[in-house]
Amino acid sequence: MPLMRRPGTVLAMRYAAAIVLTIFFVFPVYWLFIISFKTPDEIFAFPPVWYPKSIQFANYRVLFKDGDAETVWNSLVLAGVSTVIAMALGTICAYSLVRFKTGGENLAVWIISQRMMPPIAIVFPIFLLYVFFGWVDSFHGLIILYTAFSLPYVIWMMRGYIEDLPLELEESALVDGCTRWEVLWKVVFPMVRSGLFATAVFTFVFAWNDFLFALVLTRTEVVTYTVQVTHYFGGQSNFWAKIAAMSVLGTIPVFFAVATLQRYLVRGISMGAVKG
Amino acid sequence: MTASDRGTASGMSESTASAMVGASGVATPAGVAPDRFFKYWLIVPAIFLLLLVGLFPLIYSLVVSFQSLTMLEMDYSFAGFTNYIALFKDARLWESLLHTVIITAIALPIELVVGLLMAQLFLERLPGRQIFVSLLVLPTIISPIVAGATWRLLFDNRYGPINQIVGWFAGEPMPLLWTISPYLVYPAILLCEIWQWTPFMFLILLAALSNVDKSLTEAAEIDGAGYWRTFFKIVLPSIWPVMAIAILIRGLDLARIFDIIYALTAGGPGTMTETASIYAYVQGFQQFETSYTAAMAFLIIALLTALVTWAIRRMGLAK
Amino acid sequence: MRLINTVAWVGAVAGLAMSWASAATAESAAEIAVKEAQKYKGQTITIVWEAGLQALDPLNFSGPKWEELTGIKVKVIEVATEEMFTKIMQDYRAGAGAYDALNVIPAWMPDLAAAGALEPLDSYVDKYGYRDELQKIAPTYRDNQMKVGDKIFGFPDDGDVFVMYYRKDIFGDPKLQAEFKAKAGRDLTVPKTWKEFDEVGQFLTDKLAPQTYGAAFFRQPPYTMFMFEERFRNEGGKFFDADSMKATINSDVGVNVLTDMRNENKFMPPGVEQFGFVENLAAFLQGTSAMTISWPPYGRWAAGYGTDQEVLSWVPKSTIAGKVGYALPPGGHPELAAGFALSVASTSKNKDAAYLFIQWLNSEDISMQRVQLPYALRDPFRDSHFTSAEYQAKWPDAKEYLAALGEGAKTGLLDLSLLQTDKYEEVLRQAISKLWAGDDPKAILDTAAGEWDAITEKIGVDKQKAVYQGWAAKSGAYPQ
Repeated sequence: MPLMRRPGTVLAMRYAAAIVLTIFFVFPVYWLFIISFKTPDEIFAFPPVWYPKSIQFANYRVLFKDGDAETVWNSLVLAGVSTVIAMALGTICAYSLVRFKTGGENLAVWIISQRMMPPIAIVFPIFLLYVFFGWVDSFHGLIILYTAFSLPYVIWMMRGYIEDLPLELEESALVDGCTRWEVLWKVVFPMVRSGLFATAVFTFVFAWNDFLFALVLTRTEVVTYTVQVTHYFGGQSNFWAKIAAMSVLGTIPVFFAVATLQRYLVRGISMGAVKG
Repeated sequence: MTASDRGTASGMSESTASAMVGASGVATPAGVAPDRFFKYWLIVPAIFLLLLVGLFPLIYSLVVSFQSLTMLEMDYSFAGFTNYIALFKDARLWESLLHTVIITAIALPIELVVGLLMAQLFLERLPGRQIFVSLLVLPTIISPIVAGATWRLLFDNRYGPINQIVGWFAGEPMPLLWTISPYLVYPAILLCEIWQWTPFMFLILLAALSNVDKSLTEAAEIDGAGYWRTFFKIVLPSIWPVMAIAILIRGLDLARIFDIIYALTAGGPGTMTETASIYAYVQGFQQFETSYTAAMAFLIIALLTALVTWAIRRMGLAK
Repeated sequence: MRLINTVAWVGAVAGLAMSWASAATAESAAEIAVKEAQKYKGQTITIVWEAGLQALDPLNFSGPKWEELTGIKVKVIEVATEEMFTKIMQDYRAGAGAYDALNVIPAWMPDLAAAGALEPLDSYVDKYGYRDELQKIAPTYRDNQMKVGDKIFGFPDDGDVFVMYYRKDIFGDPKLQAEFKAKAGRDLTVPKTWKEFDEVGQFLTDKLAPQTYGAAFFRQPPYTMFMFEERFRNEGGKFFDADSMKATINSDVGVNVLTDMRNENKFMPPGVEQFGFVENLAAFLQGTSAMTISWPPYGRWAAGYGTDQEVLSWVPKSTIAGKVGYALPPGGHPELAAGFALSVASTSKNKDAAYLFIQWLNSEDISMQRVQLPYALRDPFRDSHFTSAEYQAKWPDAKEYLAALGEGAKTGLLDLSLLQTDKYEEVLRQAISKLWAGDDPKAILDTAAGEWDAITEKIGVDKQKAVYQGWAAKSGAYPQ
């Protein structure tokens, strides 16, 4: 077999490319994380220090002691719950749009237009609305907000994945006597597992990364990680070590979630079964 | 199978299904198919939430854009189209829109192509693939504010490693002022943005690619089609629905880019890297030009809606 | 006769003793505040405070202490500096009434007061007997950062002032002194004018680089904006023409200041244009710069005061403790950059309780303790702070340090403070960023002046003129 065609060579090249890409994408994250172990002189060292002299966890201890780490938990809860709800409501909505053309093109465009609104313009009226409802500085308030903001994204993404599904599976399930809800739950959802996974990851990320609304709609009870981090950038101070440690704390849960849920990236049910 | 075929097929299934439901003993009033409302039940919760949170701000902004609310004066009188007229005369606004377009036009294709290539790379089995993919998603999980601040530190001439690395290759210290020099600010911003969001395209396309019917690609291979032909003729059309939406979403988000630029250059030097979002922030948040910002928001929505509608037609997304 | 003498004698002594005793028990403002606050026992008041280091004061010290003394709980709402103004305004506009007491940067006071967000404090000051102790705040802060028009809207609570820090050991080095004398024909002294500064800075860099550079500054636009305001006025510049209200920042003075600033970067560490507060601090503490200008904390941390505290563990280790001298920046009139004042929100539901808290915080007794907190970012602002024996004993050079701060408080220059100050400041920040990008200074300032005029027109020339004249009449507006 010619060299280029040998599976071994291709694998080696793929591996090399994978490593180069990973280095590029991970290096800044590495730099950020490693700051959480550096002393201030190492953070502001000239020339820059690539690896600290010693690894000590003092910065992390401080975050837990002072209660800053709680903000990571707050963000996890807000982003997590809103993602679950948005995925559920959004996917069924997407199914309706695709299979039944509910609302036609107009509804679909209206839904995505929610994502066009520059946040700056609506942050104050939403604040007014929330003052009226009494939802400022509350968990449920922000969960409702993030869910609503995530819906357009979920609906549109899942539309794409559902459109990809061949109709025969659902039809045969209906013929077999399933109710429409059962078709949704037992046939459609499992089939779009990879789409659900990919969409859920970024639905979570978008809610997780929100700063503007978390800033305006909270005061002391529900401080999120993104708002807390900005407290570390002072005009006369710069808690880089805390910024870095907080980022590590915040990233670990999501990292593990992505790592463990990855098996859904692989197609669940083999399409071959359908063709036969 | 085209979409219209699917529509007909599902129409047939619907009546069959409702007949089946009746046959399996569920009590239904004669002639009324309970499933007729099924499709509406599906959308009601989502629409309700969207309206709850989105309706009032929209109306408020619209009304306010015709008034003269600023920090000092809560002038609720009808000011007609003053704000909108001022928008058209505002050179800084149009420049900011131009900057936004430039960044979107450069970053989007790069993120798409690189993301697609990466997805292809990781599609087949690879030892440790799970670790790689999880690591590659990290840039998106770091809050954009932190990412911007980190890159600012990376770019620092004295305390950051990038100039250090460039110096190694060049053989002498290179004091590149990434966040200050007019020639370097755009590359710096684009680098940071592409770094952070290419993994988004990557993961989504990976999910889409892994859904491609393997039997089709295998059949093509047996028929003797080359790799690229298979890709363009079979794979691409298959993942197109998802890919088109990903492009749309990413494009919309790029149009609203804020944190990275704010952290790196704050729109500077001068207003050279000021995008629409940053200008809106300065006006609406720092200077409390509430009415003007509302008018600006509607202008942006109008522009984006036109763009998105055109894109949807072109990409055949809402048939 | 002798009995009457005895009675008179006893009476006189008793009278003296009683008046002495009553003088000794005359209540301080802090005591009055605590006493009056008892009737609000059990309530909670909120106070908006700058997030991070600043907030440790009410979180770790003053909040708990106040609760101990009065039973009033203090809820600290931490907000990042850039967002403070916005959050205060939004809360006010929405009528949410969630904030009781506020920290306010004095430059914002005209806008906040005009919008009605701040409670006028005169009646409270009289009601709770605070006039006396208010007077004892250092004149520059007292006369410039307290009132809008003739109403009191806040109590100056932070002696922010730019101080020049320099390396005593370098300036005192005999070899360098001889070489400088030979070169420049005068002694190597701490520069008193910017011309001297350029000379000395260049000389030191020539001799000592790359180990040490003559100077480094925090050149990022938000900070440099303050330095420009200071230097421009020291060199004789005026922001506006008093009659026409046209901006005059593009005068020759302005152009020269910008040009000189850019030229100075040449003898500073490469990349100094990107330096922020901490980068500049690191450079100075590591011995990389021989001169720098910054707020008072640099002086404390360079001496190692408080840096053993965990919350200050992010401060790079000082390698120059004991080698730092303090002086006024060249020109002799330092910028009172930023600063903080304590105010009461007009929509607060607990105005008296909030007011009593800030009176207590700002009082002679308590403020003295607060400015000495090792992790404090509140700098001395009362006459008594500068002469406090306790403070002077904190580190060997503390006496000189406080003297320099005191001098700065006497001659300091106020931040420009008009209606919608942020719009004018934004123009300046952009001008600075264009300066570092290489644009022509005259062109930069002409554009900036034009933008300033446009802003003034939009606000209303007469309206702004009135505010500007009020500001310009203050002792700290222009060098006297």
